[in-house]
Parts: sequence; C-alpha cells; structure tokens
Amino acid sequence: MGDEIKTVKSLDLTGLACPMPIVKVSKAIREVNQGEVLEALTSDSGALADFPAWARTSGNEILKTEAEGENTRFFIKKN
Amino acid sequence: MEAFLYTAEELYDLIFMDSADFLLLDVRNNEEFEKFNVEGPYLKETLNLPYFEFVEFEEESIKKVPKGRKIRIVCAKEGSAKYVGDILTGAGFDDVGYLAGGIGTWADLLKPVLIEKNDRFDLYQFVRPGKASLSYGLVCGKEFFVCDPARTSEFYLDFAKDHHLELTKIFETHLQADYISGNRGIANAVKADIVAHEDDFSMAVFDYTTVKDGDVISCSNDGVLVKAIHTPGHTPGSMSYLIDDKFLIAGDAVFIKSIGRPDLGGKVDEWSGFLFETIRKVILKMDDNLSVLPGHYMDWSEMTPEGQFIASLGVIIKNNSEIYNCDNLGEFTDFIKANMRKQPDVYAEIRKINAGLIEPSEDEQKTMDIGKNECAAST
Repeated sequence: MGDEIKTVKSLDLTGLACPMPIVKVSKAIREVNQGEVLEALTSDSGALADFPAWARTSGNEILKTEAEGENTRFFIKKN
Repeated sequence: MEAFLYTAEELYDLIFMDSADFLLLDVRNNEEFEKFNVEGPYLKETLNLPYFEFVEFEEESIKKVPKGRKIRIVCAKEGSAKYVGDILTGAGFDDVGYLAGGIGTWADLLKPVLIEKNDRFDLYQFVRPGKASLSYGLVCGKEFFVCDPARTSEFYLDFAKDHHLELTKIFETHLQADYISGNRGIANAVKADIVAHEDDFSMAVFDYTTVKDGDVISCSNDGVLVKAIHTPGHTPGSMSYLIDDKFLIAGDAVFIKSIGRPDLGGKVDEWSGFLFETIRKVILKMDDNLSVLPGHYMDWSEMTPEGQFIASLGVIIKNNSEIYNCDNLGEFTDFIKANMRKQPDVYAEIRKINAGLIEPSEDEQKTMDIGKNECAAST
C-alpha cells in the first residue's frame, strides 16, 4: 500500500483525560527525530480539536486522523 | 499555596454582583473559545491561552499572565485548568482558582433571583448566564409552577425539595429551538403537568395539557391567577402568561431590547404577519405598567442593580419604537428580514428533542445545549 504511514512510535492514551494526552504526546515527539512519525490513540473527546491546535502551536504536522469506534488515532510527523 | 477549586456559582458572584478585579484565564483551544466563552457585566478581562501552550512553552506562557491579580481558570472539563493552575502557583502566583467541572457547569448554571415576594406568592427568575436565558418559578402556598425550564431538570426538582414545595405544573411559552427543555425530566420525576399550546406542540409525542388564549389557571386553591395570552409570532403557538395581573412572562414574544425573531420556523412572511398582529392587537393594548419578564436578554445593560431582567411594558415600547411604531405589515416584514442572522444548525435538532421525536444521549444533549441563544431580531 503506497499510502501506508510508517511510524516509529505508538502511544496508547486511551482512558487518559485532558491535559494528559497532549502532555504525553508532547514529551514523546521530543524523543523522535525530525521527519519521523508517531501515532497516538486517544479516547478523549476533546482531542479532536486539541490535537490539531497543539500541532499548529508546536510546529508539528498531523498527517492523518482515523476514527476507531469511540477512539481516535492521530499520525503526527515531527517537523 | 496550591491552586484551588471554585464553582460556577462563585464565578457568577464574581462577574454579576461584584466589581472584583480578576483575570479570567480560559485555557481551551481558540476555536472552542470563539464558539462560547464566559461573559458577564463585571468581567473586565479574559485571556485565552490554551493549556497546550503551557505544555510546549511553559516559561513564555507564564510571562503572558499578569502577576499580582486574582486568576480564575476555565477549561473544557477541569483537568487542564488544574494543570495550568498548578504551574502558575508553582511560579509564585498566589490566588489561582480552577473551575470545578469545566465550562459545561457554567453553561448550565441557573441562578435564582427573587422578583416579587408578598403575602400571597413569590416569583423567581432563574437566570442562565451561559445561554442568556430566563426561566421562572411561581410559589403560592405549597404549590410551585415552573415556566420554560432549562435542560437541567434537577435544579427545579431540588428547588422544590429545598423549599418543601410541590411542583405541579410546567408552563411552556413555546417550543424552544435554542435550548433543550427540562419539562419531561421534571414531569417524569414528579408527575407534573406540561402546559403548552398545540400550535407548537401538536407533533409532540409526550402527554401535555393544551392551553389557549383566555385560560386562567390558579396556583394553589383560590391562589394567585395565571392568565394565558396567545402571542404568536416567534412561533405560531407562543403564549405569554400574566401573573396576578401584574407580571407578564412573555417568552420570546417581547424582549427588553428587540423582539423574538419570527423566522426560525422557515416561514418568515407568515410568522411576521402573526407577530405584527400580536403587536397591534395584543401587546399595544396591554397596560403600560405591566412588568415584562422576558425569555432572554440581549446584553448586560438590561440588568437591574438587583440582578433582575425586568422592565415595564411602556418603557419597552418606547425603547423599541422602530418595532412598535411600524403600522405597515410590508415595512414590518422588510424590517424583520433586514435584521436576521443565520440560525445555528443545531436548532432543528433541538426542536425535535423538545417535541420528543429524538433522544440523543445525555452527553450529546449537553454539548448541543451549550452556547448563547440567537432568538432576537438584531436591532
């Protein structure tokens, strides 16, 4: 599949409430190299709006957002 | 010193009754903030600085918050406000609160304000600052009538319990489009009657007692009288309720500033005609000394020093002369059309909920019910 995204790290943030999903993602993205992608799965209903807003603030890029039942999976590229 | 919890009630006291100097720090993302935020007459300054800015750039973000002031933080739920509060207290801020339960508790807050207390009855206005909406409570003897209850039915049930009252009737001025009614929540809990006009409620799938123009309902045996007056326009089945020949609970027919918009049902020409007739044949013929109690307020300047939203009909007619002086239906309809804004998409769904046709989950209803109303013609 040409459009499959290669990730270097996967975070399971389900069950965590605001602000913890962002706190964890922020920490994790500091630990990967520029251009690498990490994926994060969250159950927090605020995440849909907060992840893109956080990405703009931190200068990273959300490549893809997937709904998985009640959860959401984000693919975030470090810029 | 740690950041402490504060409640929506305490926030109300800060921004409605007190001219206390404090900074409201809203740490939600900009988009959510733009959609809905805390407003109030004495709120001097709000700073929207999302919590993830504190996550990414802690030191720079702390510098953006003025030192030496009371800080009250708001977020979506509670956790992010506490997170930022702890960062600020750690940086030496000493009067920092975070809102218990998040912005939703503010959106739902109802504050009882006494309008009239005499030896026969008490009349309360329940102010909902998050919606700029007003519901009402009439107490006569042990009997309690409610009018236009907000979604949070427990509030009215608790009020009845705390005051040892029997909540027997729920009056609806009309089928609301801008907020979810708590009428069935109350009726299911205490077997109270829902009283409403069939022109608005004919499609409702729950039991209600129909009311029509000229009906008189007594609160308590031989108690204070509630007279029903048909005032169509905002909706075809809009009712006003006259309490003790003195207080007119007007729903969205008469506002202190402006008037209830007649276009929400998609039939602006027909409903503008109803409104025009209501103004000419009903409202302008009423006693100027009636105290009008509206369903919404437009801005804080309408509030009295006691925190009430009330005005005499004569003053309202004088202050809204472009509406009440217009004696030509065509010009009136043109004026109405020139003063309309788009109605929020969610209103169609809220109408269906209020007729019992759909029943989304509690969480979905709470989300749909957030935000200021859009019920008035802008003048």
